[in-house]
Amino acid sequence: MEVSFQNLILGFATVLTPANLLYSLLGCLIGTMVGVLPGVGPLAGISMLLPTTFGLDATSAIILLAGIYYGAMYGGSTTSILMRIPGEAASVMTCIDGYAMARKGRAGAALAISAIGSYAAGTLSVVGLMFLAPPLARFALGFGPPEYCSLLVCGLVVLSYMTGGSIVKNLSMIALGLMIGMIGIDQMSGYFRFSYGLVALGDGVGVVPVAVGLFGISEILATAGSPDRREVIKPRFRDLLPSKQELKDSVGPIGRGTVLGFMIGIIPGSAHIISTFVSYALERRMSKHPERFGEGAIEGVAGPESANNAASEGALVPLLALGVPTGPIPAVLLAALMVHGISPGPLFIKEQPTVFWGLIASMYLGNLMLLLLNLPLVGIFVNLLRVPYRILYPTILLFCVVGVYAVNSSMVDVGIMSVMGILGYLLRKMDFETAPLVLGVVLEPIIEYSFRQALAMSDGAYSIFVQRPISAVFLVVAWIMILLGLKPLIKKTRDWRERLTEAEKSA
Amino acid sequence: MRSRRVLLTVMAMVCIGTIGLFAGVATAADSYPNRPIQVIVPFPPGGVADLVGRPFAAALEKLLNQPVVIVNKTGAGGAVGHQAQAVAKPDGYTLMVALSSISFNPEVDNLFGRPLAYKLTDFAPIALLSSDPTVLVVKTSSPWKTLADFVADAKKRPGEIKYSSSGVYGTLHVATEMFAHDAGIKLRHIATGGGSPAMVALLGGHVDATSGGPNVCIPQIKAGAIRPLASWGDKRLAALPDVPTFKELGYKNTEFYIWSGFFAPAATPPPVLKVLREGAAKAVQTPEFKGAMEKMMTPISYLDAPEFKKFWDNDAARLVKAIRAIGKVE
Repeated sequence: MEVSFQNLILGFATVLTPANLLYSLLGCLIGTMVGVLPGVGPLAGISMLLPTTFGLDATSAIILLAGIYYGAMYGGSTTSILMRIPGEAASVMTCIDGYAMARKGRAGAALAISAIGSYAAGTLSVVGLMFLAPPLARFALGFGPPEYCSLLVCGLVVLSYMTGGSIVKNLSMIALGLMIGMIGIDQMSGYFRFSYGLVALGDGVGVVPVAVGLFGISEILATAGSPDRREVIKPRFRDLLPSKQELKDSVGPIGRGTVLGFMIGIIPGSAHIISTFVSYALERRMSKHPERFGEGAIEGVAGPESANNAASEGALVPLLALGVPTGPIPAVLLAALMVHGISPGPLFIKEQPTVFWGLIASMYLGNLMLLLLNLPLVGIFVNLLRVPYRILYPTILLFCVVGVYAVNSSMVDVGIMSVMGILGYLLRKMDFETAPLVLGVVLEPIIEYSFRQALAMSDGAYSIFVQRPISAVFLVVAWIMILLGLKPLIKKTRDWRERLTEAEKSA
Repeated sequence: MRSRRVLLTVMAMVCIGTIGLFAGVATAADSYPNRPIQVIVPFPPGGVADLVGRPFAAALEKLLNQPVVIVNKTGAGGAVGHQAQAVAKPDGYTLMVALSSISFNPEVDNLFGRPLAYKLTDFAPIALLSSDPTVLVVKTSSPWKTLADFVADAKKRPGEIKYSSSGVYGTLHVATEMFAHDAGIKLRHIATGGGSPAMVALLGGHVDATSGGPNVCIPQIKAGAIRPLASWGDKRLAALPDVPTFKELGYKNTEFYIWSGFFAPAATPPPVLKVLREGAAKAVQTPEFKGAMEKMMTPISYLDAPEFKKFWDNDAARLVKAIRAIGKVE
């Protein structure tokens, strides 16, 4: 592909028509809303709007739909930071430090940094998409089931080592999450598993009720149960913007989050979720003050929020360069292109320069629009926290119930949410982290499927996981993490994690 | 404070319940359709069922003046979505665009002695929308230039050549096993989540062969990434005139089509079915639907309910025979 000045000019010329600018803005607006609302994910948003784009030309349609896709990654952090309810699965990690910041009166800074980080990551990823798409796409296809399974195992072990607290506790949370994720109809054989005759459990335990219950409901329960009356946070305008120190602390995480997110995003699957917790773990490891994580570290917001944006654009690489969708959302975008008579394949960029470069240019502009859209919203959103808790919390609870019900019109989901809320409350009381549990539920279908596919490829020989070099590397990293976790048992050295535990106890 | 929260929650639930009740009353009183219609697609977005279903739903939407929303209910080679449709309320608001695999799931359940997830008589066929033979493809870099090369190599090392499918007993699985049985070879099966992931597995080199509908294969064939060996049709594909059919090459029992059809639950009232039949007949004639199908290289093969029923019975009988011949896989 020739990345020439002319191509980019062609792209901008395509986008800078009033109609296409409007579609881009519309996509970004809908995307932000879809991201803010828990329950409605970008996949649902795009699928619902796909039929309305049939009347548009291909370029406008893809500009609109892609806008929803990357716009959702901006909105997802809002409820995570303000209410500890992830707007979509890729914002689970943001709940931890984002919400802690909000409790300290820094909600504005957290929201602003996540918008700025998303913008930087979004824009840099378009550059990556422009220059590197074809070679990277070929690399991505080399990622087969064994590699994917090992990556997930490695990611989850890294997460449990880095999240803080005991590695054993974290691993047991992941295991519990994986077990909950197995409930429902088996994707491969069609058998009902662990549903105890309940037909409603056939579809499995949804991510939304689990996440809303474990984070949102448990937080409300914990607040209601705490003896001290918390003051309503009244942010002054000055507090809305990140301080110089916070900006400085965010530069590194945003940069690393972008590169990491883009690389992970190219890999087939729900990579944007994985990218957030790998980024969080990385930032904690890199930090000179890892004990601040969980207590409102800006790095814990900047890294994952940049990573999920970069990853969502990275996921477009295999679609645009080779015409193969690697996840459900790129698949809907592919369907949109096909409906408009464009069959993306390896020749897509050469045969359809207007569409490809128009999309690239729209992403530059769309990210800018999203930044301009989201920064003023920070002020509005933060004002929500002025509402007294006796009004705010019942309202949040109401939205949790209605939102969870609305996803599948299912009272069973509301029940699952309630059970998870109580479970989350108990786990917090016992110092268990709930993020690993949610990620276990989210990733179970992918990890199980890739594991079984890998074994089908090798005719049942487990050696396939160590014979393939990329897969072996991931497993070695996982083992190193486990051994590091065991080190304090053997040598009585106090590493940062123990210091952290002590600091927490004395606090 | 806690009691107030509980109260609020209860109130919210009562509100939701009441709205639902009113919606129910309104429905019974008015004529069909007066609220959004859901169309189940039992496969992930981007697959054949999805690609046919979406423009069809869009065309139907304009004719019925109600939103027609596609819902992808995936899993177990389509069985999850089929079952959801079989147990859906037969009121014409939950319909389905399904593929040929709908015919063989019950037979697979029989084979394993499982209770049937659904029966073919649970569905009322409304219209056949498309019917396409699948194509067997390998990577361009593979040593097999013709089907004969492929079969000869497979005979030399049984169970070693890997192919990806759209799922266990999904369309691509049954089609490939039908051929393998006919040719007397044994291949190793890797199930994926749909037609697109199956193609990704081949392009990534994780399997040696796969199959797919023309719309999935042709862009990659044109770009020189994959090589077609044979197609499952009765005659050669118009878009791939150089690719022989299995029948030509002497595999007389290897014939398979991915067809897509529009279904309602069997107990749907006849007046509702009539509206849907007429809607489908008009929808396939709209320039939008025709254009969309043409662009996707999927010819429309429309059949109205009675003819579709006959076609379906024939096809199901052939597939059931094939599955019995294949027997239990895995």
